[in-house]
Amino acid sequence: MTGTMADPLSEYDTPACETLAQTVKKSLRTSDSIGISRCLQCGACTSSCPAARFTDYNPRMIIKRVMENDISVIEDESIWNCFYCYTCHLRCPRNNSPTQVVQVLKQMAINKGIGLDRLKVLFGYGDTFAEFGVSKIPDLYVGRMKDDFDIRWHEFKEDLDSVRSELGLGTVNVKDSGRGEIRAILEGIGFFKRQEKLKQMARTKKPIFESDTSNESGEITDEAN
Amino acid sequence: MKQIENIPDQGILLFKSCMVSVEYPGIESSTTYAFSKLGIDYLVSDEQSCCTGLGYYFDLFDQMSTTAIAARNFAVARKNGYTNITTLCSTCYAINKKACALLNSNDEVRLNVNSVFKEAGLDDLVYEQNSLDDVDNFYHVVEILLSKAKEIGRLNAIDFSGVRVAAHHACHYYKIQSDDMMGNPNHPLLIDTIAKSCGADVVEWYEDKTLTCGAGFSQIHVNRDLSLKVTRVKLESLKNAGVDLVLHMCPNCQIQYDRYQPVIEKEYGTKYNIVHMNIAQFVALALGADPKKVCGFKTHSVPLDDFLSRIGVSV
Repeated sequence: MTGTMADPLSEYDTPACETLAQTVKKSLRTSDSIGISRCLQCGACTSSCPAARFTDYNPRMIIKRVMENDISVIEDESIWNCFYCYTCHLRCPRNNSPTQVVQVLKQMAINKGIGLDRLKVLFGYGDTFAEFGVSKIPDLYVGRMKDDFDIRWHEFKEDLDSVRSELGLGTVNVKDSGRGEIRAILEGIGFFKRQEKLKQMARTKKPIFESDTSNESGEITDEAN
Repeated sequence: MKQIENIPDQGILLFKSCMVSVEYPGIESSTTYAFSKLGIDYLVSDEQSCCTGLGYYFDLFDQMSTTAIAARNFAVARKNGYTNITTLCSTCYAINKKACALLNSNDEVRLNVNSVFKEAGLDDLVYEQNSLDDVDNFYHVVEILLSKAKEIGRLNAIDFSGVRVAAHHACHYYKIQSDDMMGNPNHPLLIDTIAKSCGADVVEWYEDKTLTCGAGFSQIHVNRDLSLKVTRVKLESLKNAGVDLVLHMCPNCQIQYDRYQPVIEKEYGTKYNIVHMNIAQFVALALGADPKKVCGFKTHSVPLDDFLSRIGVSV
């Protein structure tokens, strides 16, 4: 992939190969036994896919384009409709896994700066994870949940600690004996380096498509974490 | 396929879930209540971190980082001598299984993760090849409960007869590593079997039983309309089947149904007389748990008060 900065982790999820199918097979995200080359184009994936039921996402066609080495597939917005439910993965008679293939395609897209508008709201996730050892839904989405849910949810969220202690449960955050293990592991493995690269790309590159045209600047709001 | 006689009841590390912890903490307390009642030897460790699954399926976390975090949690299990890692969430289950398989089969991954541990001075975290098995050391709580279904039925103190119950089995439990699940992935019946042992009127099949809940990790946030369309299809199908209670095995699915059912009712101008709970909350109730102090129903969005009085549980 030309034009992308090297980061140590992209070699594992999106190894540079001669063809898209080879990248898919070699990626750590896909099963060793993935049967993409054995695809019959039977359409069992598409017929059982919840995204295909309601949108123009078509996993059978995505696989066909990957096999034809059509690199433009990573710019196809429909791949972002996959639910990662793995129904295609279960139904495929040839042990192919369109949902795993799409994960690789999306990582390739992200490496090219596509879809960063979706990713940038998550940039605080890694830091929260490093500090507390737990995953947290980004504040931007929590804001929407606040609008959607009723007062019962708001009250319970304010009161989470006492609700948990009433149930005999301890704190949510991980105790790692003050060693900062999780941060050290993420640092050592190259996670923050990769995240820094993505942050930089989000700042400087205009995403190819945007779900929110009101925010054209590509600025990262740290509060949205 | 896992066999019921091989499901362990000793040395269980009850793997905490991020979404259980902050949305439905009653699932965890119900599980520990049921485990204690059933004589299951388990441990909850505050050293265990989240599995990164949310970040992984938001396309933020890569496989290597996720695997390294998993290896740290495997060390927590090992150090405490509780090596049957048993999850409350289907995504934790699949993420951990995949990480374990990679650490065993891929030398490059294992060496890379271990060298990061060593360089950080965390030698005690080093993962030795095949020290855990990706099939024999990983379970979901529903499997443990299923292995005790007869005993649960015998101890059950509630009359569930006439209660129409249906199950929503979580995709990441039975579709990702489908060879390892208990039963037939085209027609999962784990939850159904447990509910039946308690005398409930179980609806074993309804249209789209194996369709996703619709959460899709980022989809409920980024593609909200699409996500809710899928959830509505299932709610309509459950309504047509006359279901009163849907039992879940994953906090993400439970959020999607319990929290968004009122949202869908409002947006589509419809009404569902359906309540939701986790299978562990159901089993805890059956075994005599307090609906407030153990099951934690007050964090639910669809109120359960009427349902609980119908089955004779005072709230």
